[in-house]
Amino acid sequence: MKRRNPFFYFGGKLLLFLASLFILSLTVFYISRLAPGDPLVSYYGDRAERMSPQERAWAEERLGLDAPVRVQYARWLAGALKGDFGISYKYKMDVREVIGSRTGNTLILGGIGFLLIFGLALLLGILCVWFEGRWIDRIICRVGTVTSCIPEFWLSLVLLLVFAVFLRVLPSSGAYSAGRGGDLADRARHLILPMTVVVMSHLWYYAYMIRNKLWAEVRADYVLLARAKGVGKRRIIFRHCLPNILPSYLSLMGISVPHILGGTYVVEAVFSYPGLGTLSYESARYQDYNLLMLLCILSGAVVMLGNLAAQMINERIDPRIKADEAVRITERWEAGEDG
Amino acid sequence: MDENQFVLVGIRQEEGIEASIRQKWYKGKPVVSFFLLAVIALGCLCSEFFIPRDPAYMDLAHCNLPPNRAFWFGTDIMGRDIFSMVWHGGRLSLLIGFGAALISSAMGILVGAVSGLSRKWMDRLIMRLTEILLSIPSLLFIILVQAVMGKANVFSIAFVIGITGWASIAKVVRTEVRQLRGSEYVLASRCMGGGFFHILRKHLTPNIVSSIMFMVVMNIRSAIAAESTLSFMGIGLPLETVTWGSMLTMSENALLSGSWWMILIPGLFLVATLLCITDAGSWLHRQMNRKQSNL
Repeated sequence: MKRRNPFFYFGGKLLLFLASLFILSLTVFYISRLAPGDPLVSYYGDRAERMSPQERAWAEERLGLDAPVRVQYARWLAGALKGDFGISYKYKMDVREVIGSRTGNTLILGGIGFLLIFGLALLLGILCVWFEGRWIDRIICRVGTVTSCIPEFWLSLVLLLVFAVFLRVLPSSGAYSAGRGGDLADRARHLILPMTVVVMSHLWYYAYMIRNKLWAEVRADYVLLARAKGVGKRRIIFRHCLPNILPSYLSLMGISVPHILGGTYVVEAVFSYPGLGTLSYESARYQDYNLLMLLCILSGAVVMLGNLAAQMINERIDPRIKADEAVRITERWEAGEDG
Repeated sequence: MDENQFVLVGIRQEEGIEASIRQKWYKGKPVVSFFLLAVIALGCLCSEFFIPRDPAYMDLAHCNLPPNRAFWFGTDIMGRDIFSMVWHGGRLSLLIGFGAALISSAMGILVGAVSGLSRKWMDRLIMRLTEILLSIPSLLFIILVQAVMGKANVFSIAFVIGITGWASIAKVVRTEVRQLRGSEYVLASRCMGGGFFHILRKHLTPNIVSSIMFMVVMNIRSAIAAESTLSFMGIGLPLETVTWGSMLTMSENALLSGSWWMILIPGLFLVATLLCITDAGSWLHRQMNRKQSNL
C-alpha cells in the first residue's frame, strides 16, 4: 500500500466534502425556486393574496425575491459563508435560531433511536444464529419480516389508536405537555410512541443483516478448527465471529443514517413532534426557502459524514480496498448481494 | 466435563436423495403469499364486477358507520363505502407501485451502465453525484420534485417516486457492469460496431437481471409504501382520488372519533400486499443465489 501523506489524505476528503455540499446547495436552491408556490404567503400569511401589484413588488424586493435565481444564489452563498443563513419567512427569525430550538428534540428521538436500533439489532442477530433453525429463530424471523413491512405512518396510527384513543395511557402528540418542558418523566412519556415506531420500523432490516453475516461466518473453516480445539459456543461467537463482522457493521451504521433520518421525519409529522422533520416538511411545502436550505445542508452534511466514516472504517479493515470502492462494498452488502 | 467432549466436529448430515424426491412441489415456495397477492390483484382489477357501491359516492345519511351488514367494512366520515374503496383504490396503489418500480429500474440500469462503461473520472463523477442526491432525505426530495411538477396525479406520483428510488439499483448495476465489460463477447460486439444501447440490451441486461431482480421487487414494495405515505401526509394524490394511502388521509378525524375501521382496514390491505411482495421477493432472492452451503 502506498503510504499517504495524512495532510493530503484528509485535505482531499475535506475538499470533496465541501464540493459535495456546494453541489447539494445548488441543486436544492434551484429545485426549490422552480416550484410554483408563493413564498410571500408563508411570510405574510393570507394577506399576500390580497396584495396589490405594487405591494407585491415591494415585498418581493424586500425579501430579495425579485432578482434572478443566479443572483439570489450568489447572495445566499455569500451570506452563508459568513455564517448568515437569512431569516425564516414563516417564523420571521434567524433560521439558525428556529433550527436551534428544535434540534435537541430530533437529536433525542433520532439519536436514542439510532443507538437502540443498533444495539437491539446486534442482540437479535446473535440470538437468531445462536438458536439457528429452532423455534425462537423462526419466530423472530417471522415477526421481524412482518414488522419491516408495516409503513411507519400506519404503525404510528395504530399505536395512537390503541394507546392514546382506546387505552388513554399515552399522549398523542408533541414533545411535552404545555408548560412542563423541563419535566423529564413527561418528556419520556411523550417519547415512548414515536420511539417505538422509529425502532420497530428499522430494527429488522439491520438485525437480518447481522443474522446473515453471522450465519455465513459460523460456516467458515476457522470455526471448525476452534470447535475441534474444544472452544465453547459462546466464546466462538463472541470472540471469533463477532469481531470479524463488527467493522462492516459499523460502516453499515454510517450508511444507514439517511434511512433512519428519513424515518424520523415521517414519525415526527404524524406525532406532530416539534423536531427538524416537521420543520423541513413545513418549509418544503410552504416555500420557506432559507429554512429549507439550511435544513437540507445540515441533513446532507450528516449523511455525508456518515458515508465518510463508513468509507474510512472500510479502508482500515482492508487497505487493499480503494477509497471509493469501500463504501460500495458495504452497499452491496446492504443490497443483499451476499449472505 | 460435559457430553460435548466427544462430539465429532465437522460431521455434516447428508440429506438422502429420497428426501428431495418426497418433497411436495409447493415446498419452500411462498404459495400463500402468491395466492393472497393474486386475490388482491385480481380483486382490484375486477373491482367493478362485485363492489356494491360507487366508491366515490358520498352517502351522507350513512357516514362514519362501523362495519355492519349493509356496509361490510363500514363507511368513512364522508359517507363513502370502505369495502368498495379498498378494492377500487388498490388498483391505483398497485399501478403506482409497478410504474414507479419500472421507472426506477430503467433509470438505475441506464445510469449504472453508463457509469460502469465510461472512463474512470466520469464514473467517479456520476457516483459522487448519486451520493449527493442520496443525501437529501427522500421525503424532502419528493416534496420538492412534486412541487416542481405541479398538481399531483397518478403519473406524476409514480414518476416522482421512481426518480428518487433508482440509486441503489444503479450502484449494483455499475459494479456488475464493471466486471462484465472486460469480457470477450462485449469486446467482440463492440468491434462489430455495436452501439451503447445495443450492448446494454443484448449483452449486459440479461446478465444483470438476476442480481437486480430482487431489488426491483423490493422497489415495487417501497414505491407502494411511499405512495401511501405521501398521500397520507397530504403531499400525494388528492382526497378524491381513492388509493390506500389517501383513504388514510382523514385518519386524524378517525382518531378523534375512535373509528378504528377507517384506519385498520385500508392499512391491513396495504400491509398484506407489502408482506406478500416481500415474501415473493425473498423467495426470488433465494432462487437466484442458490450457492452450495459450506455446511
